[in-house]
Amino acid sequence: MDSFAKTRRRILGRALAFCLCGVFCSIALTRAAAGAESASEYQVKAVFLLNFTRFVQWPPEAFATPNEPFVIGILGNDPFGPRLDEVIRNERIGEHPLVVHRFRTPEELGDCQMLFIALSDGPTIARVIAGLHHRSVLTVSEADAAAEHGAMIQLATESGHIRLRINVDAAHTAGLVISSKLLHLAEIVGTRPGD
Amino acid sequence: MTGASISIRRRLTRMLLLSSSVVLGVTSLAFCTYEFLTFRQSSVQQLEILSHAIASNSTAALAFDNAEDASGVLAAFSADPHIVAAALYDARGNLFATYPKTLDAALVPEHAGDSGYRFTRSALLGFQPVAAGTERLGTLYVRSDLGAMYARIRLYALIVTLMIAVSLPLAYLISRRLQHQLLKPILALGDTARAVSERSDYGVRAKRSGTDEIDLFTDTFNQMLTQIQGSERKLRDQLSRLSLLQHITRAIGERQDLPSIFQVVLGSLEANLPIDFGCFLLYDAEQSSLTVSGLRLASGTHAKELDLSERSMVPIDQNGLSRCIAGMLVYEPDVREVPFPFPQRLAAAGFCSLVFAPLIVENQVFGVLVVARIREQAFSSGECEFVKQLSEHVALASHQARLYGALQKAYDDLRLSQHTVMQQERLRALGQMASGIAHDINNAISPISLYTESLLERETNLSERARGYLVTIQRAIDDVARTVSRMREFYREREAQLTLERVELNRAIRQVVELTRPRWNDLPQQRGAMVDLRMELAESLPEIMGAEHEIRDALTNLIFNAVDAMPTGGTITVRTRELALTEGRSRSLVEVTDTGVGMDEDTRRRCLEPFYTTKGERGTGLGLAMVYGMIQRHSAELQIESEVGAGTTVRLDFPTHASSVIYPSQMTRPVVSTRRLRILLVDDDPVLIKSLHDTLQEDGHLVSEAQGGQAGIEAFAAAHQGAERFDVVITDLGMPHIDGRKVSTSIKEIAPTTPVILLTGWGRRMIDENETPPGVDRVLSKPPRLTELRAALAELLP
Repeated sequence: MDSFAKTRRRILGRALAFCLCGVFCSIALTRAAAGAESASEYQVKAVFLLNFTRFVQWPPEAFATPNEPFVIGILGNDPFGPRLDEVIRNERIGEHPLVVHRFRTPEELGDCQMLFIALSDGPTIARVIAGLHHRSVLTVSEADAAAEHGAMIQLATESGHIRLRINVDAAHTAGLVISSKLLHLAEIVGTRPGD
Repeated sequence: MTGASISIRRRLTRMLLLSSSVVLGVTSLAFCTYEFLTFRQSSVQQLEILSHAIASNSTAALAFDNAEDASGVLAAFSADPHIVAAALYDARGNLFATYPKTLDAALVPEHAGDSGYRFTRSALLGFQPVAAGTERLGTLYVRSDLGAMYARIRLYALIVTLMIAVSLPLAYLISRRLQHQLLKPILALGDTARAVSERSDYGVRAKRSGTDEIDLFTDTFNQMLTQIQGSERKLRDQLSRLSLLQHITRAIGERQDLPSIFQVVLGSLEANLPIDFGCFLLYDAEQSSLTVSGLRLASGTHAKELDLSERSMVPIDQNGLSRCIAGMLVYEPDVREVPFPFPQRLAAAGFCSLVFAPLIVENQVFGVLVVARIREQAFSSGECEFVKQLSEHVALASHQARLYGALQKAYDDLRLSQHTVMQQERLRALGQMASGIAHDINNAISPISLYTESLLERETNLSERARGYLVTIQRAIDDVARTVSRMREFYREREAQLTLERVELNRAIRQVVELTRPRWNDLPQQRGAMVDLRMELAESLPEIMGAEHEIRDALTNLIFNAVDAMPTGGTITVRTRELALTEGRSRSLVEVTDTGVGMDEDTRRRCLEPFYTTKGERGTGLGLAMVYGMIQRHSAELQIESEVGAGTTVRLDFPTHASSVIYPSQMTRPVVSTRRLRILLVDDDPVLIKSLHDTLQEDGHLVSEAQGGQAGIEAFAAAHQGAERFDVVITDLGMPHIDGRKVSTSIKEIAPTTPVILLTGWGRRMIDENETPPGVDRVLSKPPRLTELRAALAELLP
């Protein structure tokens, strides 16, 4: 390897490290400004939401245009506050810029690619999901047994750690492909019959 | 040679093994280095790939903060036993998970470092960023020991060792085989060189091996051998020619005559050079001709076509021979192309190449050496040079032989002259003795002659018988006087130079026949053999000019030879005749013919040579040589005809004197002086004085006598003073103290007009030679004849 290339790589590496440092610093600052405990939990969950976009593949028909914004919808009472907005700021999924749409009720629910269902009632969740009509919307919920009620990913908290429970069938039905890496971390569940 | 070959072999083996080892070593080193480098690179790549995979697998664990799962992912490193440690750091760079779970803290850095891989002394380690898409999720750290690399290096070392272990013996075997191929021709070349050096055999040749360079070498070597062989052959030829030259030079040095020198040279050339034909041609510059002298023909050649023999003449060609006569060596490689008679003759006889070499002495060509061979182009330059050198040697030897011959001839001439001188000395002594005897006899018989003549004249009353006796006495005295005269003539001293006089051949022959009578008549008779000598003399033979005594000597020799040729008797014929020529000139021939044993051809040819004799001890071998000498001095010719058993004829052919006339025989008439004279007789012999006194007194003269010269002069002087002077003086020549010459001179001094008559025992010779001493008016020989004395007186005193 010639010294020029080496030098270039070294420079690139340093630049990257600098950028990462900047990112981490901004994240740390925003997180520090939030509340102590719950802030930490939803901070992580916000990052999780962002990270899901990296381990799930949407079909092309999910977007009307190539540079249409990638919409993260929050249905119900938003637990994130401004944290999610901060996490997704300046982030893009491919060509798509990330935006957060908040929906108060299921009736208000508009187009989105990912939907965080901030509801706790399982049948409601199931109804909401059914109302999506198998559109390519990644449904995420932190409600207990949400996965069994049709949510594609359930964020479960066990002894201080956030665990993932994933309903692969639901995702499959919606035309979404969930990375095996993600599946590897998660507990795979199926939709409870009768829901 | 073996040592050298072993050395070459060893050296070659060493070179091959060394070069193979070096090549193997360098190759192995390069291979190992390459492998080492590529292995490092591939190690890095492998580690990178592995790390990438692990990092990729650990993205979810990092993204969703699952340390357990991260540890599980890291456990995949257990597949590679060389990975001794691994760790995951979160996005903030804090340690997130490690492999193995229980880990020496020293092996894992607390925080993530810069991404990239590097080798430390004992390990290969690196940081791999973990990212999902563009999102950096964390960092993977991997540490691998270098066991794999060391194992690889050990493997390579083993392979290299094995390769060398296998390839070197293989290389050795191959080199042995190749060496054999390479060394075989070299060793063969060496064997050839050894054969050449040990046996000096330059005829051997190295064999070609079929390899280009070695063949080139072999060819060069063989070429060198060919050259050496050529040089050696040339050297050997040169040496042999040199030795031949020495041999010939020594051989001809021992010989002193040309024919034998030529024969030796040609014989040696024929045997040793060799040549097929050789001859010497002697050059006569005056006649510009060449004569064959010495001829050698190898057997089986065409001698007939050549048509050459000893003494045959060879014309000088325009081309070859004339150039050779000019002093050049001429080499004709092919005489068939030379259009000149002599080369053509040789070509006809089957000879194709020839060399003419001039024989030069003192810048004069005196001959040509001709050598020829049947083959064409048969003489090398070396041989031509040899012939040239040889011709120089031969020329020198011939010159020496000629000088030797001339010396020998001079010596022979000297011996002959010595012999002649001795003979002349003997003859001179004999002549002196004979003269003395003749003088005494003449003196002694003078009174007898005088008295007899006087008695016959004066005594008229003598009886017939007495008169007859007196006449006989007178004839006997005449005979004695003639005999004495002839004897003296014969032995008379020879003049130093030949003085020519008129010679009457017939008279000379008669004299010789008479003188040699004891030899041809008496001696054979004693032996019981009968020799008849016939004279057939031509009448009126012209006189010739010559030395009579020499002619007589020659005739004597011829008669002696004729007698010797007829031991059992026979007939000798002496014949003279005139041979008329044109212009009034003529020649006188004298032939002496015998009926003896004759001569063969060789004897006839050699009989004129000095010291050549067929008579053994009895002969001097000078007889005919002297005859020949006389003939030459007289510008005459000598012809000898002879046949074995049929006798010999020797013919002397004299040129006749142009103005010669027939010799008239002088007749003396008796003259008696009428006057009475006073005569003084001077002699030392009283008997002679007395007889003269008596006879002159009887003639009426007044005679006084004086005994001895001195007394005579005194008596004459005394009488001259007085009135009675002497009218005439008769004096003897030979007297002690004062001889007749002095007496006559003295008398002439006293009275110049008084005649003096000299009487001498040598008188005839004086008369013959007109040798009258001064003061003498007349010379009369003893014994004095009264008639001659009277005539002289009458003539002197009329």
